[in-house]
Amino acid sequence: MPGDDELLAVRAAEGDEDAFEALVRRHAPGLLRLAGRMLGSQSEAEDAVQDAFVSAWRRLPEFSGRSAFTTWMHRIVVNRCLNMLRSRRPVTDLDSVPEPVAPDHVASPARAAESHAAAAELGRALSALSPEQRVCWVLRELEGLSYETIAETVGISSEAARGRVFRARRCLTEAMTAWR
Amino acid sequence: MAMNTGAELPGTGTGPGGTDGTADDERLACGRLLSKVWESRDDGSDDPHLRSCPHCAAAVRQLDLLGAAVREASRGEREPDRDAGALTARVMDVVRLELRPGRPLPLGEREEDLWVREAMAAKALRAAAETVPGVRTGSCRIRPGESGGVPTRGPVQVRLEVVVPLVPGLRELAEEIRRRVRGAADEALGLPVEYVDVHVTDVADTAGADETYPVEEAEAHETYALEEGEGRS
Repeated sequence: MPGDDELLAVRAAEGDEDAFEALVRRHAPGLLRLAGRMLGSQSEAEDAVQDAFVSAWRRLPEFSGRSAFTTWMHRIVVNRCLNMLRSRRPVTDLDSVPEPVAPDHVASPARAAESHAAAAELGRALSALSPEQRVCWVLRELEGLSYETIAETVGISSEAARGRVFRARRCLTEAMTAWR
Repeated sequence: MAMNTGAELPGTGTGPGGTDGTADDERLACGRLLSKVWESRDDGSDDPHLRSCPHCAAAVRQLDLLGAAVREASRGEREPDRDAGALTARVMDVVRLELRPGRPLPLGEREEDLWVREAMAAKALRAAAETVPGVRTGSCRIRPGESGGVPTRGPVQVRLEVVVPLVPGLRELAEEIRRRVRGAADEALGLPVEYVDVHVTDVADTAGADETYPVEEAEAHETYALEEGEGRS
């Protein structure tokens, strides 16, 4: 219930740890998935989300409640992921990009090889994107956000968000076409 | 970038990791911009040209191929729920070590030297208010009394924000909240209270309740004109 988030955030801002714990419990799964998609690594995603929550706890007294708590958390996680991706640079040569972390589970054994290979190739192509392109692409294609929301989350204009998603798509379609 | 003359798509482009600064769109052999073709695909627009043009069809196929790879990859995505519990525990370990200073409040009689942190006291008062069925609490600020602008030891002032259920008799409900908050302050904390301000910030329909906050069946479905701040007791 979204209204609940705002009540819990107000209480957490006033120092109520239990209220904050309820927020963490509620939002951790979605944010872990988001960070995993941006970083391509589950362990790094856990670090990013943990740091983001701790930083949120410290900054909650400044949280005005003008945006929804979930939007605010998204912004903190996205920024953390952007910084982590930037510190990984420079990685420009496709062939030098290490094999991405393989997904742990594949639904159907019959599709396993194909699915694994496509996922691996997509992961490799994703790590070749600029951090900004990657983040915008994930928010658009995997999280299904509008360009306006992406712009607000990343702190850029929606035209810039549109441009980054387009360029990311170009790089990815090229990579996937070459692979097929 | 240069025009692409054939149906081969996409062109070599700026390559992976190309800069974000410049527009590196591509004009297809039919004259359409690649970015516009893909946008039409996103919007599901019904442009007759897109259906008949081989260049646009090739561009759309590229995008669909990527979409298929994304779907295949997401089948193998790890279910984050199972990691969330451990993560929550780690976050809370850090959070509980970081005590917010908060305001100390005087407990007991004027001559005593006992103090309680505002956040602790607020927690007890919120819990007391939430014993009224359907009531949920937000902000709870507790201020020491004042004498000539100077905080003094003695009764405190409480300002509590609540979301109440859609039931008749809002004034009685506010009074009940006040009574329980005073009771908890007095009995559980030994914190003398000067007054409790109850601010109704929202009225929740029972349909919006979940198992965390059980709400009794509302009997009336009229909308009440609410004054913010029910006054002082």
